[in-house]
Amino acid sequence: MAKIIGGIGTSHVPSIGVALDKGLAGTPDWKPFFDGYIPGQEWMKEARPDIAVVIFNDHGNTFFLDRVPTFAVGVAESYNPVDEGWGPRKIPSFEGATELSWHFVDKLVEKHFDPLVCREIEVDHGLQVPMELFFGRPDKWPVKIVPIWVNTIQYPIPTPQRCWEMGKVLREAIESFPGDERVVIMGTGGLSHQLQGSRAGFINREADQAWLDGIANDYEKFREMTREDYVEQFGSEGAELIMWLVMRAAMDPQVELKHKHYYAPASLTGAGMVVLENAA
Amino acid sequence: MAEAATQIPETPLFDRARSLKAYQLNKMAMDLGRPENREAFKADEDAYLDRYKLSDEEKAAVKARDWHEMVRLGGNLFFILKISAIDPTPMTQIGAAQAGLDHDEFLKQRLGK
Repeated sequence: MAKIIGGIGTSHVPSIGVALDKGLAGTPDWKPFFDGYIPGQEWMKEARPDIAVVIFNDHGNTFFLDRVPTFAVGVAESYNPVDEGWGPRKIPSFEGATELSWHFVDKLVEKHFDPLVCREIEVDHGLQVPMELFFGRPDKWPVKIVPIWVNTIQYPIPTPQRCWEMGKVLREAIESFPGDERVVIMGTGGLSHQLQGSRAGFINREADQAWLDGIANDYEKFREMTREDYVEQFGSEGAELIMWLVMRAAMDPQVELKHKHYYAPASLTGAGMVVLENAA
Repeated sequence: MAEAATQIPETPLFDRARSLKAYQLNKMAMDLGRPENREAFKADEDAYLDRYKLSDEEKAAVKARDWHEMVRLGGNLFFILKISAIDPTPMTQIGAAQAGLDHDEFLKQRLGK
């Protein structure tokens, strides 16, 4: 059976990709941010995953308002970077773990989730940036991917509790998948930020730190919070953090917090990551 | 949900009302994800905007690059950001416009720079 080898929570701020594209990673604004990811990259190298399940939201690049899936799962053979307005970024396309994707779709529907199933689709910075943060800029990505899109743009967005429930199905799907693949789960988005309205530029460093400290073994409060609580504490776009819950729910109730990093602001956003392992 | 969430101060959530109201504005911006539309926008902005059923207010806000007004009218930032890909504007500048602060004040007050 496939094995979950770790859970990652990470920001996916688009400016991170731009900083890499423009060679700004070593500048004073960015160096402390990128340096904090080095332990995460080393962990990933050591962990040797075959597949990365990436939970993220599209940012008005792949999906328009003509059809807004609450949850979508990619079952494509490959995923190209989408044109976000500047032309597609020059990074390798992502190979799909199609068998696991379909297996996950089967499990979701069996458990009364109704995802949009995507056979041909492109991916935006929400998936690209986490991959770059943990795998660098290889000529070919060392893992296949299972992309999971969560609508965090148009209300109603899913509840944090529903994200949690989906994480449990994800775990069941991976652990019942016939194969010996090593799977890492990446919940992405956040941390606190708000881009719209007069509260724009809102960053809540205390709430971010509490999130990074608590997501490992003191997560019940985050699971119980409402969508309004997320918006209030983390900002309108910071509510993306509900996607980390999918990852967290797929891990053991108790985990080891292997790495943690926080830096603010990255562009207009509190940014950072955790690396979690099941304890046993 | 929609009602409760809109009560969070200074925080416009992209709810049903906004999505319905500004559909054409957001669609116009979304379409800038294609190079041929970016070229058309650059070549003749009025003609490009006229392809969509924009209100006079929406059209004026786009032409003035009034980021605050575009959002007030129901524009969602993730769509309208594509305008900043054509007419380069830093994200912090757009944030400052949302907050109604000048750029330096925004960096200082909100981002602690």
